[in-house]
Amino acid sequence: MKKILILGGAGMLGPYVIPALDQNYDLRVTDIRPLDMAFRGEFRQVDVAAYDQVLDAAAGMDAIINLSVLRQDRQLAFDVSTLGCYNMMRAAVAHNIQRVINTGPHFTVAGATYEAFDFNLSTDMPPQPGTNLYALTKSLGQEICRVFSEQYDIYVQTYLFYIFRDPAELTPWPEERPWVLSWKNSGAVFPLGLEIPLEKLPSRCEIFNILADMPHGQFNNEKAKRILGFQPWNDLAALWHKSVRQ
Amino acid sequence: MTSAGAPLAQALAEALQPAHTVRLTERIFVPNLANFAQSALHHDLSTNLLVRGLDAVVHVAEPLPGDSEEQQIDYLTRCTYNLCAAAVAEGVRRVVLLSTLDVMTAYDEQFTVTERWRPKPTAAAPILAKHLAEFTCREFAREHKLDVAVLRLGRVVQADKVVSQPFDPLWVAEADVAQAVERTLTVNTGRWGVFHIGSDAAAARFSVTKAKSGLGYAPVHHFQPG
Repeated sequence: MKKILILGGAGMLGPYVIPALDQNYDLRVTDIRPLDMAFRGEFRQVDVAAYDQVLDAAAGMDAIINLSVLRQDRQLAFDVSTLGCYNMMRAAVAHNIQRVINTGPHFTVAGATYEAFDFNLSTDMPPQPGTNLYALTKSLGQEICRVFSEQYDIYVQTYLFYIFRDPAELTPWPEERPWVLSWKNSGAVFPLGLEIPLEKLPSRCEIFNILADMPHGQFNNEKAKRILGFQPWNDLAALWHKSVRQ
Repeated sequence: MTSAGAPLAQALAEALQPAHTVRLTERIFVPNLANFAQSALHHDLSTNLLVRGLDAVVHVAEPLPGDSEEQQIDYLTRCTYNLCAAAVAEGVRRVVLLSTLDVMTAYDEQFTVTERWRPKPTAAAPILAKHLAEFTCREFAREHKLDVAVLRLGRVVQADKVVSQPFDPLWVAEADVAQAVERTLTVNTGRWGVFHIGSDAAAARFSVTKAKSGLGYAPVHHFQPG
């Protein structure tokens, strides 16, 4: 079995990513806080801002998945989202780990200067995160990944998400939302990223929008379908039907 | 002016003093400097107070001796963000970021590389950190919050001290850098401007044409091989 290091596994995505991988991979899940769920693998307490801890956790791994995120506090946001990526990439270099999956919010690439103006937004455009703390710190982390992938033989896939919903608790929004995905559907993309042959990725740094098929077409998920084989579920469609909104 | 502990910052401050009042700052205490204020550039009121009443911030952005790689990245990302955010909050409109031409040296030396070319930083912390500082400042400019000028410097030297050393096409005289900074503070460089600052000699690695026309930069020291 491939050995997979998950950084930030006790966050919001961990409970959906870990079950999606647990049966087919040896997982080493890490987070700065304890993990409150059962799985087959190992858990370690790791601060992604501490290089020595990340380096140690990455030893012997075949791939790294970075789910770590912290949004509000400036010091912690830079520690986790920017320095965390720097430490992850240095650890990948040190241990010859070729496969890295990074994650972030939609505005890692498409900040307000895109979202407020444009449609059919994909990921193959220059990042414009703006000065929003969450967006910029994640975008800096992504830029670090890109620079490392250009210099070293490391393949970074970055999965961008936006709003998550649970199909069992669908309530209409007061205003239109450009991007949504069910929590469980988010976990389905990670096995695809771990199994895709690296030579099938167009470059060593590829970013994917991971969202449901939404009828308004502001954001585009075609690349994730075409390259990764990602299949969005139709479990949230009621959100944009008049029958639900009325 | 940040990075007051760096010799470059002290030289720039001295050169600017006749025409400008310069407030120097550093993350640690630096003795024997006039108008010095120590600041960690954290996200707190002290960073706002540091820039209150200023007309411009010159972010020299040099790490401290002994800074780890993580500290270099942290200083040029988080602290740069805090500095820019404080400038916005206090109504300081202009930021001059001193970056490095090392973000452009990955191109073939035979190419005429200008400011329109895409930066190609390496993953080495001192170079990557400068690139990330540019990235951070650019977003403030993009949102119309600041007018940012980036000066990408060659290897800054004192002209009289490199006479006997092997020629480096990236050399730029400290006095010429001071002139470039002074010119940047004087002219309108718009919302976002990038300028390569080096020698104007034929053997120099990068053209300074844009700095000459856009800033009125007129380097005095023309280093030549041999």
